[in-house]
Amino acid sequence: MVDKYDEFSEKSGITGLERPEFPVDVGEMYEGERIRKPDMYLEFGGMNVNKKWELVLTRPKDQLEDGKITIIGPDLSEMTPGGSYPIGILVEVAGDKVEKDLEGVLERKVHYFTNYIDGVMHLNQRYDIWIRISKRAYQKGLNSLVWIGKILAWLYKSSFPVIEKIQITIYTEKAKVEELFPTAMDTWSKRDDRARTLKDEEVNEFYTCAMCQSFAPSHTCVITPNRIGLCGSVSWFDARAAYNIDPNGPNFPIPKGECLDPIKGIYEGINKVVQEKSLGTIKSISLYSMFDNPHTSCGCFEGIAFYIPEVDGIGIVHRDFKGQTVNGLTFSSMAGHTSGGTQNPGFNGIAIEYLRSSKFLQADGGWERVVWVPSEIKERVKDSIPKHIFDKVATEVECKTIGELKEFLKSREHPVVSRWKVEEVKEVPKEEVKEEAPEVVLPTQLPTGIEIPTQGGIRIILKNVKITAEKVIIKREKS
Amino acid sequence: MTTKLSINELESSFAKIKGLELLIGKIVEEEWDEIVGPTPYPSITDLRTWDHRLLQRYEPFYSPLCDMCCLCTFGKCDLTKGKKGSCGIDIRSQQGKIVLIACLMGAACHATHARHIVNYLIEKKGRDYPIHLGEEIELEAPLIRLVAGIKPKKLGDLEEVLDYIERQITHLLSATATGQEESYIDFESKALHAGMVDNVALEVADIAQISALRFPKGDPDAPLVDLGMGVIDKTKPVILCVGHNVAPGSEVINYLEKSGIYGSVEVAGICCTAHDLTRYSTGAKIVGPLSRQLIFVRSGVADVIILDQECIRTDIIDEAKKVGTRVITTIDQVCAGLPDMTKSPIESIIKELVSGSVPAVLIHDPAKAGEVAVKVALEIAPNRRARIVSDEQEVLDAILRCKDCGRCRRNCPIDLPINEAVYASHEKNFDLLAEIYNQCLLCGRCESECPEHIPIVSAIRVAAMEKIRNEKYKIRSGRGPIKDTEIRKVGRPIVMGEIPGVIAFVGCANYPNGNKELVEMADEFAKRRYIVVASGCAAMDIARYKDEDGQTLYEKYAGDFDAGCILNTGSCVSNAHIIGAAVKIANIFANRKLRGNFEEIADYILNRIGAVAIAWGAQHQKAASIATGANRLGIPVILGPQGVKYRRAYLGRADKKENWIVYNARTGEKVYAGPAPEHLLYVTESKEEAIVTAARLVMRPNDTNKGRMIKLSHYIDLHQKLYGILPEDLHLFVRTEADLPLTMKDQLLKMLKKRGWEPMELPDPTLLERQIIRRE
Repeated sequence: MVDKYDEFSEKSGITGLERPEFPVDVGEMYEGERIRKPDMYLEFGGMNVNKKWELVLTRPKDQLEDGKITIIGPDLSEMTPGGSYPIGILVEVAGDKVEKDLEGVLERKVHYFTNYIDGVMHLNQRYDIWIRISKRAYQKGLNSLVWIGKILAWLYKSSFPVIEKIQITIYTEKAKVEELFPTAMDTWSKRDDRARTLKDEEVNEFYTCAMCQSFAPSHTCVITPNRIGLCGSVSWFDARAAYNIDPNGPNFPIPKGECLDPIKGIYEGINKVVQEKSLGTIKSISLYSMFDNPHTSCGCFEGIAFYIPEVDGIGIVHRDFKGQTVNGLTFSSMAGHTSGGTQNPGFNGIAIEYLRSSKFLQADGGWERVVWVPSEIKERVKDSIPKHIFDKVATEVECKTIGELKEFLKSREHPVVSRWKVEEVKEVPKEEVKEEAPEVVLPTQLPTGIEIPTQGGIRIILKNVKITAEKVIIKREKS
Repeated sequence: MTTKLSINELESSFAKIKGLELLIGKIVEEEWDEIVGPTPYPSITDLRTWDHRLLQRYEPFYSPLCDMCCLCTFGKCDLTKGKKGSCGIDIRSQQGKIVLIACLMGAACHATHARHIVNYLIEKKGRDYPIHLGEEIELEAPLIRLVAGIKPKKLGDLEEVLDYIERQITHLLSATATGQEESYIDFESKALHAGMVDNVALEVADIAQISALRFPKGDPDAPLVDLGMGVIDKTKPVILCVGHNVAPGSEVINYLEKSGIYGSVEVAGICCTAHDLTRYSTGAKIVGPLSRQLIFVRSGVADVIILDQECIRTDIIDEAKKVGTRVITTIDQVCAGLPDMTKSPIESIIKELVSGSVPAVLIHDPAKAGEVAVKVALEIAPNRRARIVSDEQEVLDAILRCKDCGRCRRNCPIDLPINEAVYASHEKNFDLLAEIYNQCLLCGRCESECPEHIPIVSAIRVAAMEKIRNEKYKIRSGRGPIKDTEIRKVGRPIVMGEIPGVIAFVGCANYPNGNKELVEMADEFAKRRYIVVASGCAAMDIARYKDEDGQTLYEKYAGDFDAGCILNTGSCVSNAHIIGAAVKIANIFANRKLRGNFEEIADYILNRIGAVAIAWGAQHQKAASIATGANRLGIPVILGPQGVKYRRAYLGRADKKENWIVYNARTGEKVYAGPAPEHLLYVTESKEEAIVTAARLVMRPNDTNKGRMIKLSHYIDLHQKLYGILPEDLHLFVRTEADLPLTMKDQLLKMLKKRGWEPMELPDPTLLERQIIRRE
């Protein structure tokens, strides 16, 4: 094996991987590397440092000098080993196709790319970063932040061909890091505002995501500004960026076409694409309804919106919720009804971020219809729950059963209570047991004395008959 | 159980009935509305088409240990050079037959184990005792659902599954008799069938005991428990359980608890029964894997040994007698020529054992065996010192007889330089012998061969005494199944290329260079954020090494089914959960129906789930049957060097493009999807080869670009680090430019183009024509 390859190498003139010369190796396989305190040369950010940040900004092309790396403040070799230092990483990019909306997507790559460096660990993002350089990496020659800048610049340019120019400035001077901090905060807040206020009607195209088709071949996600992918990891901005970078990748645009129903979120363009993608199995989907042609679900959704018929309301449960929800079912058991790329009215796989969307299940009543949410999730999205409804939504702390939930909703005057009046007259039909014919009948000996008349009333005559059933299966008829 | 209705004579306007007898074997109320798939309770031939499809791609490769067939009185028959035996058999079919027999031995062991434990638990808890694996496990029995097509709700439901398994084993075994099956491919198909029923038996056994015996239920934080030869407190009476069936050992604990003296008696185990004892009670201790048997028993530390079933050395009773340890055998598979005292009064059994007039007995009743063991241990422990005459001087004297003839080394399964070490100790240099201990399988073959009758294993023990005393490790107690929610959670990162694959360390302790290499492999993959799982003796041996911080891998990594974690599922029978996890993925992500739907699920796993098992020290026939079952489901298994003695591998031919054609389910077209996974059963010769092979075999045709990118980056990196060069077959695994790791893209592309590489399609891959989606 080795010989054969060497022969090839000689012919091709390539004996190993040619790559830009860096003092340490750089590759995807280092991503999971953890650097423990005893192995650490020094660290930036983390718990011991008050201000730290990383920021990606787009600039006009003429303002940037491509490949320029600047360090403002002391460099690695000038710092005392073992210490914790402030840091600010500013990545400025330019290119004809580099839109401002790409900034967030590019910024999250600082985390991945820094982690690709052997001997460097990066955690978290934005104002919460924590970077460790290992002793080994320092000894190997990673003794200047310029290297990190160079590596980042190289990785950005090789993974995003749309970036024509890149300039990286790393601040380690405390005063400077603090001075620029408000600018960074301001940028993020504007970016978040845009992400949260951008509405489906304001864009021309949505995106599909076919990433998880590798495991759930019949599912396709439709991603819009108001509806993030069910896994919570692919937003409209991410999908758009991914498409711009690789038009043959898993995300591609869906021209919206005519809006057939603005409340349910039915678009001609979406229907066309899902029909095509599902090979005709799915005809239409409503983006904002879990009852009427709901969006299908993959396998990796973060949570489930589930209908609770007893109170005509909607419950929410997330993947990490332990034990039974208010309807007596666990996440896993409901997930079984939800997944697999089929439309399952009453069960909808969702991303937690979707709970913050202004169009969250709007056709079904949105938050006004939500009656039960795990306390952890309620806390996480509390800013997005309408004030007047907040105290009316129960969690597992208040209600563990449907009975308790009914009482709770009544006492808090939840809007769903007004829907009950009509319903209360109805009675739930009792389940009936239907006995089926034996599935396995062996051996059946019916040789003698059987007469089944063909006309008139039936009269059965059985003589010396032995019927043996290995097993009789009784199935309940679905009500 | 049978319901019977007889009508002698009935005359009515509706019917005239005479002598009607209606017999109903079982009435089941079924709430499972999943449609029954094509093959519930498959017969030997029901999945034959699938087997042949697999075997066409992964052709059996035989490495006979012996060229003769000695199975009937016509023989011995020489089968070399294309010769046929007197029954007409050729060497390939004869090897296929031997492989089938080995798989049947394994499957029969697990089936028996499952039957014993289910019977025991039914007797204790009743047939209606519920199967319940905790709130987060809805999919309680993926393999039973898949193969049997039932959803077991109660212990009693498992009996019909066992009936099925036992029937299959009988039918398969009959095919190995002279004058039955003749085709090697069909022997292999039958071996795959044996492997499949083996896997179901594992699941039956483990879900029964998890449900009924307070074991952890898929708990990632299952407690850390003690492991090692040095963890046993010798000041207390010691009861040692050896084997796989936890029933008698758990009864020891029950009796100690009932008498209020649990804690003042050491309950320890060797091999899988040890795993299950710690799952039952965290106070129990694990001495180690099966390789520790001889050396630990010779130490005489155990006062009483309870033997149950499987992986028990057949000389254990003789060895125990030499050091005055009393032995109780408990399961009918191991009667060992002992008097059956099951029905004798407890006090008389105790009397005989304590006095030593009968040093070893057979007691077929776990509770009784448990009580006897405790009472005898309490009685004889105080005299342990008097009982064990130190053999140290005797050993040192014996060593001097060594003439350095080298027969020990020649007879060593892994060629350790024993003679050099023994000879060196003539000069009071015991370092080499102590060094041998690190790698030694402690099988004792050298001793049997020694013309001077030097007790070499004892010599190794004496030389390594200090090491042995300090063998104190922590292992996370076997957690059992993977939770449904954990499966969901890892879906996204696998798709997004953040988790490169699942690597399972399984099998026995027949390592070429000691357990350290196994630890290094597990560490390597966990560090690279693969999901690492372990079971059985491999799980124990992963714990038998501490890093520079004094931690074992179980302390270093979390026990979740997630990137960069290492989890211990438990004993051999807990392998069901590793295989079951792959089945769960198909159901949980794609909503593929499991019920009696083996072929579709196997096709899904083969084409989509990047899981690989490494059985680095596989030794037993059970390991063969477990692996063969995993293979039928499309999960590749890598064996260590000793695995070649299983005589058969399933090798793919990457050079034959036509072997790697799949259907694109979305279009129905036949497309080349690349050699992934390249092999189903593969023997590696070194740790390095095993690591690189595993990194290669996690690739699947359905990988997303990001998923393939991360898999390739590890494959390339490991290959470069361990072999110093790029993998020669790299171009076979790059489908489009987007597969290429970012950090090497330009360079690799140049290389690929020189090799005439061209991009290919990423299909929705399947080998089954019926999986092609029909447009509505």
